[in-house]
Amino acid sequence: MQQFLDTTLGGLVLGAVYAAFALALCLIWRSTRIVNFAQAAMAMVTTYIALTLINADVPYWVAFVAAIAAGFGLGAVIERVIIRPVEGKAELNAVILTLGLFMVLHGLTAITFGVQHRGFPAPVSTNAIAVGDSSIGITPFGILTIVVVAVVMAGLVVLFRFTDLGLRMRAAAFNGEVSRLLGVRVGRMLTLGWALAAAVGAVAGMLIAGGDLVNPAFMDPFVIYGFIAAVLGGLDSPLGSVIGGLILGLSLSYVTGYIGEHLAPLVALGILMVVLLVRPSGLFAAAAARRV
Amino acid sequence: MRTTARRAVQVVCVLTTASLLAACGAGKERPSEEGTAVGVTDTTIKVGAHFPLTGPAAPGYSEIPSGHQAFYEYVNDAGGVHGRKIEMVVKDDAYNPTNTSAVTNDMILQDEIFAMVAGLGTPTHRAVVQRLNDDGIPDLFVSSGSLQWGDNPETSPMTFGWQPDYEIEGKVIGQYVAENMPDAKVGLFLQDDDFGEDGEKGARQFLDSQIVDVQKYTPGGSTDFSPQMSSFKSKGVDLVIGFNTPSYTALSQIAAQGVGFKSKWFYSNVGSDPALVGGLLASMTKGKIPAEQGVKLMDGMMTTEYIPGVDAPDDEWVKLWQKVWDSYSKKGSEKLTNYRIYGMSQAYTFVQALQANGKDLTRESIVETIEKEGASFEGPGLAPFRFSEDSHMGISGVSVVEIKNGASEPLTPVLVTDIGDAPIEEDDSAASDAPPSSGIPE
Repeated sequence: MQQFLDTTLGGLVLGAVYAAFALALCLIWRSTRIVNFAQAAMAMVTTYIALTLINADVPYWVAFVAAIAAGFGLGAVIERVIIRPVEGKAELNAVILTLGLFMVLHGLTAITFGVQHRGFPAPVSTNAIAVGDSSIGITPFGILTIVVVAVVMAGLVVLFRFTDLGLRMRAAAFNGEVSRLLGVRVGRMLTLGWALAAAVGAVAGMLIAGGDLVNPAFMDPFVIYGFIAAVLGGLDSPLGSVIGGLILGLSLSYVTGYIGEHLAPLVALGILMVVLLVRPSGLFAAAAARRV
Repeated sequence: MRTTARRAVQVVCVLTTASLLAACGAGKERPSEEGTAVGVTDTTIKVGAHFPLTGPAAPGYSEIPSGHQAFYEYVNDAGGVHGRKIEMVVKDDAYNPTNTSAVTNDMILQDEIFAMVAGLGTPTHRAVVQRLNDDGIPDLFVSSGSLQWGDNPETSPMTFGWQPDYEIEGKVIGQYVAENMPDAKVGLFLQDDDFGEDGEKGARQFLDSQIVDVQKYTPGGSTDFSPQMSSFKSKGVDLVIGFNTPSYTALSQIAAQGVGFKSKWFYSNVGSDPALVGGLLASMTKGKIPAEQGVKLMDGMMTTEYIPGVDAPDDEWVKLWQKVWDSYSKKGSEKLTNYRIYGMSQAYTFVQALQANGKDLTRESIVETIEKEGASFEGPGLAPFRFSEDSHMGISGVSVVEIKNGASEPLTPVLVTDIGDAPIEEDDSAASDAPPSSGIPE
């Protein structure tokens, strides 16, 4: 029973981390209709920026905000300089471009910061919370992770559903031509979409790195797991991304704890296949008015 | 489109021809009286090795070749071995077996190395061991404790191990725990490859009834070990024996704290370097606390030892390594570490083999020399090598130690054994070997 509880709690935290990453993918999909494979690499860069600041004695939360700001800037610059030229061409062009970007960022980070593993601190304790004589399998940092992800998700839901800006972003992504005719500054919306997505990615990077080791490849597993989580929930839905992330986190945690770690990637891909076969547009996708 | 295709064909043709020519080039061996001596001239010996200089296995391991190079330069400046200077080519395989095959190919065909010395890693080196043996290239002192380098010299006649293999380490750990902690409920934390498998095999000889849980991890996979630690916790494990690499020691400690799992820890020599693990732990837990405090987190952990390390600065061998490192490190600011000592200790054994071989050096003769004389080499190893015609296994024993303030305190004398059901015996005889005053084996 204790193990079940601990494994469940661990799975929830892991799931929250996948969810954070899936949210970033979902955001970029919603606001620009492409899948960004460079998301993990961009978050890795911003995490390194934060680590550099922390090692220079800057307080953790200042570095946290700096990482988000850096993400915002990086996203905007990449959209403006790299993605914009292929806009309006086949969607595959942009996707392939993000794959290339993934490798370039990897290489640049390795050259700049080195390839060795470095510890990344957490802002709060990473020790289990004590309950009476024993302790339960969740840490203050784990709780913080869940809270931050919930806040980010709520923020995105509010943005897209209740604000004028969110409506314009969705419109720009959905049909650029018509939006332009209606006075939406489409180019600016796309830039903003990338910038916001990269900022959310930066948050995910900080949550993943806290109390762990970072190296230029530390985000790579999240390219796949975050993508699975996002597809699971339906790339279109922030709530779906979070629930997809939690389902994935719990499944992987149970498989690792009760069966064996070697089966975890297999199970993740199994879940992805089943979802794609049964509900190709994801568990929480809106009615299939537009299918890609 | 047409022209592009044609150009592609031309390029492929040129490349194929070039690589064929390169392959032919490597064939110009200098046949001597008996055997081949590619890579050897009257004044030089060229050897090569693959190491993870980048990637997840690089922390620590990437320092080993700098130890080799420092020691070879020390020997070269004193006139070399039988008038020949040793040159070492180091190539990065990032701990990826596909890369290992490619860089080994380069070293054989382009660099024309005489021998592979100290290539690192079980999965990586396995990818090239057949190739080296088929081509008759000496494959000396592999930096890995897998059994396969030495337990069957008939299939791999050119390959030799160096460090104690994981099975005998597992046996010694198993016996120590069975005798001193007979009530402990043991959990095994294993790297999911030969490393973990061989260690488990050794430990189970003594602990089969005490082991209550086995958890594994895949190198390069998830770094969150909470599920594994939760499982240990629920099964009442109070002693974890880990056959894992250093980064995973730090990660398992963090995960154990994260699920509130308290236990005694016994890490294999591979994963226990206090300086490296302590530094990682310090940076992960509190941020800006000094590495010494991270080292404290290792207090009370048990591990094994087979060569003296940086925590024993008064040891004659460590004094020698310090002297060599002070004069021959490439970047003066870098400190002597246990990984550099490991590299220098291996380099010492290689120089010893070259000395014993004499002036007439061929690929065949060096293998024969190590088989005949290797068991009597006196070096930094706490136990003698097992080299013979029937075994190419490396150092034959370890001692069990406990980590206190970043240093190791011996809990047992040196315990010597062999694979299978060979008995474990106390034997401190090799531990008192001291280096010659020149620092160069005679």
